[in-house]
Amino acid sequence: MARVVVIGAGVAGLVAAIRLADAGARVALLNKGTGGLQLSQGTLDILGYAPERVERPLDALAGFAAANPGHPYANLDAELVGRAADYLCELVGPALLVGDPAVNLQLPTAVGAIRPTALAAPSMTAGACVDGANFVIVGLRQLKDFYPDLVAKNLARTDLPGGGRLSARHVMLDLPARAGEVDSFGLTYARALDDPAYRRRFAQAIKAVVGQGESVGLPAVLGVDDHGAWAELSELIGAPVFEIPLPPPSVPGLRLNRALTARAKASGVRLVPGSKVTGFRSSGGSVDSVQLATAGGDRTFAADAFVLATGGFEAGALSADSYHNLHESVFDLPLRRPEGHLVHGDYWGDPQPLFAVGVETDHTMLARHPGGDPVYDNLYAAGGILAGATRWQEKSGEGIAVASAVLAADSILAAASTATTQGAAS
Amino acid sequence: MNAAEGLDFAQTEVARASLDHCVKCTICETHCPVSAVTPKFTGPKFVGPQAERFRHGESVDHSLDYCSSCGACTLACPQGVKIAELNSQARAVMKADHMPLRDQLISQTTLMGMAMTPVAPLANAALSIKPLRNVVERVLGIHRDAPMPKANTQTITGWLKKRKKPTVKATRGTLIFFHGCAGGYFEVETSKKSIEVLEHLGYEVLVPKQGCCGLAQQSNGLFDGATQKVLKLCDELRASGRDLTIISSSGSCTGMLKHEAHEIMGVDDSRLADVGTRIRDIMEFLLELYDADELPTDFKPVPLTAVYHAPCQLKSQGMGQPAMEILGLIPGVEAIESGATCCGIAGTYGLKKEKYEIAQAVGKPLFDKVKDVNPSFAMCDTETCRWQIRKGSGAEVEHPIFLVHQAYGLS
Repeated sequence: MARVVVIGAGVAGLVAAIRLADAGARVALLNKGTGGLQLSQGTLDILGYAPERVERPLDALAGFAAANPGHPYANLDAELVGRAADYLCELVGPALLVGDPAVNLQLPTAVGAIRPTALAAPSMTAGACVDGANFVIVGLRQLKDFYPDLVAKNLARTDLPGGGRLSARHVMLDLPARAGEVDSFGLTYARALDDPAYRRRFAQAIKAVVGQGESVGLPAVLGVDDHGAWAELSELIGAPVFEIPLPPPSVPGLRLNRALTARAKASGVRLVPGSKVTGFRSSGGSVDSVQLATAGGDRTFAADAFVLATGGFEAGALSADSYHNLHESVFDLPLRRPEGHLVHGDYWGDPQPLFAVGVETDHTMLARHPGGDPVYDNLYAAGGILAGATRWQEKSGEGIAVASAVLAADSILAAASTATTQGAAS
Repeated sequence: MNAAEGLDFAQTEVARASLDHCVKCTICETHCPVSAVTPKFTGPKFVGPQAERFRHGESVDHSLDYCSSCGACTLACPQGVKIAELNSQARAVMKADHMPLRDQLISQTTLMGMAMTPVAPLANAALSIKPLRNVVERVLGIHRDAPMPKANTQTITGWLKKRKKPTVKATRGTLIFFHGCAGGYFEVETSKKSIEVLEHLGYEVLVPKQGCCGLAQQSNGLFDGATQKVLKLCDELRASGRDLTIISSSGSCTGMLKHEAHEIMGVDDSRLADVGTRIRDIMEFLLELYDADELPTDFKPVPLTAVYHAPCQLKSQGMGQPAMEILGLIPGVEAIESGATCCGIAGTYGLKKEKYEIAQAVGKPLFDKVKDVNPSFAMCDTETCRWQIRKGSGAEVEHPIFLVHQAYGLS
């Protein structure tokens, strides 16, 4: 039985850990804090801009990878990406993620822009921005992360990606989540909406302002533990309802993160949250162990293989000092660095070269020297640490993360089974 | 170094240095068990890294007092901000000139045990007299329904003196056992079973005379007393051996020695650093043995399905939930993780008149889960949490070492 240490509990780390544990590996998942999935929109992006808006992401991948050599998608083909997206759907279930990875949805954002994404929560899909759609966007006076007039007016003035226009108007309601609280964050509403009694009151107030033929756009706070809360609201209101993701704390991201974390525990993954990996030992070209700085001092985690899924600059996995010396925080891995200056002054211009910095891998996701050989024979990388992607501009983050996690896990399992066969033969 | 210097050191060197790492992602807010149930506490980010910028020798946001110091925020922070520590320090400053008598009294845990043990039946009876508890609530501000420990007629020291010596020969070396005040006076059975399991594994177990770790005083902002206590304890534990591993079955006291005394009060003393890195929670120790293939797993089946709750102050040590791993090795045991961040009591927080209802609301999903899974038995590693869960659920709640003890055929 292979022992694997996965570092980082974002979507890449969680997916890799679950896949490995389900295949029989003994997996420890080490993470210094809650992963980035909780801050996500609760959707799965594969490719949204290449750089033009993408309608069919899997079809676009091969051309995109060819035009962007060194992009993580060069190692992750459309078949794998589609399979990985389906795998994530299977892990979290249809109550949290639906859609066809081959086709992008066009969904409204909290500023009324239209964002392409491949998979979304079922509570969001009625918000698809198609010609002739008729929306009423409802805000809550006590929830100050969502301005319905901004959303409605921006949506109504936009030429839709598929052509045509939609109509949208806005309503602001006075509906406190808790008595006496004038400023509630999204999760407070989501918790309140888990309660059927509050849900009924909430639905009544909304029903009173919905017109004939309108779909109701609401901030994404429609229940957190009760994944059917939005559907019941829709029934009570008597109109289609859709959630629009908010700035953090993102309730749809939280739902996904909780579901995947629970799934990891159910698969027998040993979760060790709250401590940082601060060192490692290697010998003979392999990583032997990592050091975890727990409250009582360093603890050693030895394993046969390691998955580095620590994220990018935003997660502290990569850093750059004022001289633009670059550093990977756990293994001090060699990083791929674009030619020339890492940062340019044109804020609205091309992507900053800095964001393409990251770890390069071979086709099995083994971390390698840029353009060269693997650094260690058992250290794999997945997700935001990978070089070559500007994930938030391309809308490619989760697609890269999930596909690279699946590939890294499958490579580890394949290597372990080869080792077992060879062991048996000798 | 006195407590004021310690606090200054902790604030400037440990906690405040982490402040600028806050990116306002609100992850901590989503993990806070207190702000989830009451609007009286605005949450760790607002009270912590945000309010800290407005503090200059005084605390401007008094909702800070409603923080229970469970540490869930610091544990969840992906940027390494010491949120709970900042809040504990600011609260100590805020309360410094008007420390309630109540908070000074309830943090004297050793005193309580010493006073109650000789008159245990009487003390237990007194604590169950409603009118008396009403008076205590009015005069002292300790809630009439707050969970209280049950005094034992025998302390751990008393048991050690009278018991038969272990039959298994010590072949694996010597350990020091730290039982904590509650494990010395109230939860004596946990200490006994821990010692017996360690001896069964082949260790010689030394139990030095030991005082309190000062955790209750620390969490009430009484840093002077807490600092003296924790350093005295370090001396006592070190007197038994300078290189021996120290084992404890008191989850929260272990956390005080491992990191809280240093990170919250700024105790920057080599004796604490020594003890804090030599100490292991007993389940953590067993898991380390297992990982090294040194734990006998000849466990007898124990047919039991029950909730296991990892206390907040155990989780905040950043080692995961070792008890879940060990319980998983015992045939027949199905331990269901509580999924609760905190049971609500948070040391002495849930005893206080003005916080009792909040503590009960924090604990309610946990109590419900215990009632649902197995209403007669549940497991938890820390004493005050067990009192809270016993009171809230009606179940017998014991340290997970009870099951290990039973599975090794020791009970």
